[in-house]
Amino acid sequence: MKNYTSKWIMQRLTAVILIPLTFWFVYQFVLLSNYEYDQIKAFFFSKINASLFFILIIAMLYHAKLGNETIVEDYVTSVNLKKITKFIISLLTYLSMILTTISLLYIVTT
Amino acid sequence: MEKLLLKSNLSTGLCTFIKFFLYYCDSGFFLNFCKKNILRCYKVSVLQHKMSLNRPLSPHLSIHKRVLTAVFSIFHRFTGICLSVGAILLSVWIILIALGPEYYSKFQSLSSLIFFKIFLFLWTLTIFYHLYNGIRYLFWSYGKMMELSTVYKTGYVVIILSILSTILVWVSI
Repeated sequence: MKNYTSKWIMQRLTAVILIPLTFWFVYQFVLLSNYEYDQIKAFFFSKINASLFFILIIAMLYHAKLGNETIVEDYVTSVNLKKITKFIISLLTYLSMILTTISLLYIVTT
Repeated sequence: MEKLLLKSNLSTGLCTFIKFFLYYCDSGFFLNFCKKNILRCYKVSVLQHKMSLNRPLSPHLSIHKRVLTAVFSIFHRFTGICLSVGAILLSVWIILIALGPEYYSKFQSLSSLIFFKIFLFLWTLTIFYHLYNGIRYLFWSYGKMMELSTVYKTGYVVIILSILSTILVWVSI
């Protein structure tokens, strides 16, 4: 029952951050899916692209986590199942956040 | 049931009062009175717990008539779940790039299929729908555009804009 206001505010904040970034990224990703490996590496070598992608994926995962948690709170009535699903959601989001940051750093540096 | 719950609220207040009172004087009459009260409290709390286990789901999806605004809200949540799976897939994509060209060739063999193109088209459609509907939600959280007529109008605008922008993205490529 704690910090629901801050969660609500964070969801709106991440949404506002994501609005311009998705317009940029959807267009780029549809292009990127046809590219060869070297071209994609060249795309991530530019620091603007890499940092924008980093902000996008972190904001997206956090926004998704908050949204899924609200859905779980609305529809799942059993207390234990609620705990388990929330744990799985947070585990998946944090795991993918850490792995993406590591791999992005690896791509940029090598 | 409502009466019982009201009583429980009163009696919990009484109980705490009496517990404090018992520390200072221990007489049989008060003890007996307190026992009864505690028992009733316990029964009511058990009832409350049982009620909380079988509580109805918050938005009654199956009961209510399908209204356009409700359908928009349901679709917003549904697309949100789909896009969160998409976000995880995106992170898998970036990990595959980091692992090297041998691993990335697996993704390339997938992406050359027509099935993947259809999947990507649907992804763009869902992301644009969620984006435009999300902007509508942001306006609502500021308390603007709350009239029923504008809500319906902006709903149609969302559908038209999402379809138009997906077509625009795929035509420009």
